[in-house]
Amino acid sequence: MTASLLFQQVLNGLAIGSVYAIFALGYTLIFSILRIINFTHGAIFTLGAYATYALTGASFGFNGLLANAALPLHLPFVLALIGGSLFAAVCGVAVERLAFRPLRARGADPLLTLVSSLGVAVALVNVIQYLFGAEAYSYPADPFGHLPSAINFGFGAQPILVRTVQVIIFAVSMVVLAVLTVLMNATRTGKALRAVAEDTVTASLLGIDTDRLILLTFVISGFLGGVSGTLVGLSVGIAGPYFGIAFGLKGLAVIVLGGLGDIPGAVVGGLVIGLVESFVPSQYIAYREAVPFALLFVVLLLRPQGLLGRTQVQKV
Amino acid sequence: MSVPAARVANGATPAADVLGVDALTCRFGGVIAVSEVSFGVRPGEVFGLIGPNGAGKTTLFNLVTGLTTPTGGRLRYQGRDITGLPPHRIAALGIARTFQNVRLFGELSALQNVMIARHVRTTSGLVSGVLGLPSARAEERVTRQRAMALLELVGLADRPDEQGRNFSYGDQRRLEIARALALEPQLLLLDEPAAGMNSGEKRGLSELIRDVRARLALTILLIEHHVPLVMDLCDRIAVLNFGQLIALGPPAAVQKNAAVIEAYLGDEA
Amino acid sequence: MPAFLAAYDFLLVSMVLAAVLALSLYVPLMAGQLSLASPGFYALGGYIAAITSTRIFPTASGLYPVSLVILEMVVAALASAVLGLLVGVPALRLRGIFLALATIAFVEILRVVSLNLDVTGGAIGIFGVPQPFASQIQYMWLGLPLLGLCMLFVARLERSRTGRALVALREDELAADAMGVNPTRYKVLAFTVSAMIAGVVGALSAHFINTWNSRQGTFDTGVSLMAFVLIGGSRTFVGPVVGGLVLTALPEALRGVADVSGLPAWLAQFLRDGRLIIFGVMIALGTVFFPHGLITPGVLQRRGRRRADRS
Repeated sequence: MTASLLFQQVLNGLAIGSVYAIFALGYTLIFSILRIINFTHGAIFTLGAYATYALTGASFGFNGLLANAALPLHLPFVLALIGGSLFAAVCGVAVERLAFRPLRARGADPLLTLVSSLGVAVALVNVIQYLFGAEAYSYPADPFGHLPSAINFGFGAQPILVRTVQVIIFAVSMVVLAVLTVLMNATRTGKALRAVAEDTVTASLLGIDTDRLILLTFVISGFLGGVSGTLVGLSVGIAGPYFGIAFGLKGLAVIVLGGLGDIPGAVVGGLVIGLVESFVPSQYIAYREAVPFALLFVVLLLRPQGLLGRTQVQKV
Repeated sequence: MSVPAARVANGATPAADVLGVDALTCRFGGVIAVSEVSFGVRPGEVFGLIGPNGAGKTTLFNLVTGLTTPTGGRLRYQGRDITGLPPHRIAALGIARTFQNVRLFGELSALQNVMIARHVRTTSGLVSGVLGLPSARAEERVTRQRAMALLELVGLADRPDEQGRNFSYGDQRRLEIARALALEPQLLLLDEPAAGMNSGEKRGLSELIRDVRARLALTILLIEHHVPLVMDLCDRIAVLNFGQLIALGPPAAVQKNAAVIEAYLGDEA
Repeated sequence: MPAFLAAYDFLLVSMVLAAVLALSLYVPLMAGQLSLASPGFYALGGYIAAITSTRIFPTASGLYPVSLVILEMVVAALASAVLGLLVGVPALRLRGIFLALATIAFVEILRVVSLNLDVTGGAIGIFGVPQPFASQIQYMWLGLPLLGLCMLFVARLERSRTGRALVALREDELAADAMGVNPTRYKVLAFTVSAMIAGVVGALSAHFINTWNSRQGTFDTGVSLMAFVLIGGSRTFVGPVVGGLVLTALPEALRGVADVSGLPAWLAQFLRDGRLIIFGVMIALGTVFFPHGLITPGVLQRRGRRRADRS
């Protein structure tokens, strides 16, 4: 294998991986504060992608209740992205208020919350299908205007190309990682969030407004979900409402591999899985889909705390 | 019952001991919960374990019953090394316990709670149970009878089908004792059995423990904070503080031990 | 009656098979284990039946012998048991969420593998699976006894020493361990039984549906099963059975309502296609309002007492 081919595959791996990473960041953030796996993240991801699509003024296809519908506005892509992500954040908060809060109020087992989130996710995705049909959509071309469609990392004769949108996704995931890390470690809000993560009751007794902070967590997570959904939709197209469920499932592998609740872990997990997928030999390319799940299974058996997590000591 | 032989100062383990604890240590990360503790429990005695909160008493119980793995030292039961065995194996060998925060099977009835502990003394498997073979049914009958007898022993035979979670706190503790006894143990570990009881109930408990020891030829290891109960019941007492054994001997001697007084009252005395 | 049976034959058999499959989720749940692995064993059983009847014992004409179907079901049970042990022994050391995730991963891996193997027909799958019966309603000859046997099995399990051990594990695994119940052994046992039940249903379903591919026995199936058990009742064997029967019939009933004239188009469409939306919402509501499902031992006891009072 030549150096440039190797390098290309590494870049491909990082590209795939940063897609997973950006999805996983919002996913793991919820776990880090509330110790629950919020499977609806996949549905919120989808909602964000569809909302952005709607805000660009594009019309929806032939099936579904809102066939051929289109919003009467044509926002430029970046504004639509922000709008769509805000919509996703609102949906995330709605899910938290309606589905998770009652469970938290009665101290329900996190497993019950996982089950509830599975139900909500499936319901939401099917609502999207009911409204908009199951077709594939893609965003208008040249969303970022003047940027080239691919960037050349090669030197010399051999071009090593990575699509611009993939570079953007990588960059965004790094920025989000940095912002979240600073937020969690260097701000008062971050400290308060970590207190809530440690023990919600004690935190509220200390005067921390746990409700508002939990709301904030879902806003951030939902917004990230919307951003990642839109960017992924931009990169690979929106394959139909179920692509969120597929991501939701793969996302589980990413966050467990990186360490549940560990924010840098989400990025590490995503990049690792992306790299492994990229290096799957061509004769097994069809099994690439199984890579995240095989890794998930192995990690659960060998090191459930993930790559960056710490072992949990169980108090008897 | 207590052997008037020479007091063994460091608690080394003669072969006749029911339980031998040998330099047992347990660390959780940076915290040393139990540190180089050694003592032996003689057959038939009521051995008390006391100490301020956080001294490592319940951790010691967890080590003996296999719920926690020691990081150092060894455990011997009836001469046999049981270090590192899983809890169900240790239960099968004859060590039973109650828990500091009662851990009943809330959804199961009182009778079923007690019947569960007979699991290791019975053998009918999935197939014979489902098919309802005569051997399985006979075994169930015996299990049920023995469980009822134990409920009578602790005074709860009037409500065998009541769900475990519906009992009062004091009754739940007694139910837990009945459940532990169903294991047919030789060594019974009681973790603060009198907690939350009033003085009348405490007297009843004291009598129950004496009764049970005599009738079933048990050796009993008891964690308890209520000093009169400990003084009254125990043949010997071990005192833990910060995970270390600071005193071991008959109640009167321990009560006067300077290190013990300091541990409980701070160093004013 | 015959007209009713003929019109709803597919639905009735589907209801019965769903009820049995729900029981396969229920058994590990008795021990407090949420395992979403049943769809994987269901898929395996179906492939065994499909491959056996199309490649190994193909029939030139006429009906496929029922005895061979039963043989396939037995083989599916055994294969599922073996795979169940292989997967279960390592996986059941995991608790709670981690076990659920491991079983989700297992089902996905099986799905991708089945999409790519030649013997499973790849993406197209296997079609033209031979029929042992002339009409679909006759599948009840196998379906009903299967349901009856499984219900009897689980009912007796609940009352036996083994069942008690499982429930103790669910209530408090550590205390059960300390009382002599070997947690891994019983969790693996429950998991293996669950795998066998799912495998048998899969084998029968492959014939019933006439085709089998990687879209049978997926994560979605697991979600439906969760709905059956969560809504129907997770504390008694009656719950999953009722859940499976009713929630399989529900979409059909809604479709019937949708055909009533005078409904607005959007509502009719929702009633027709909204099965998963309804299940999803029911799951979410169920976790909040009916964490043990609708049919609980309490409900059954009260019905029993009322009957006794009346007599």
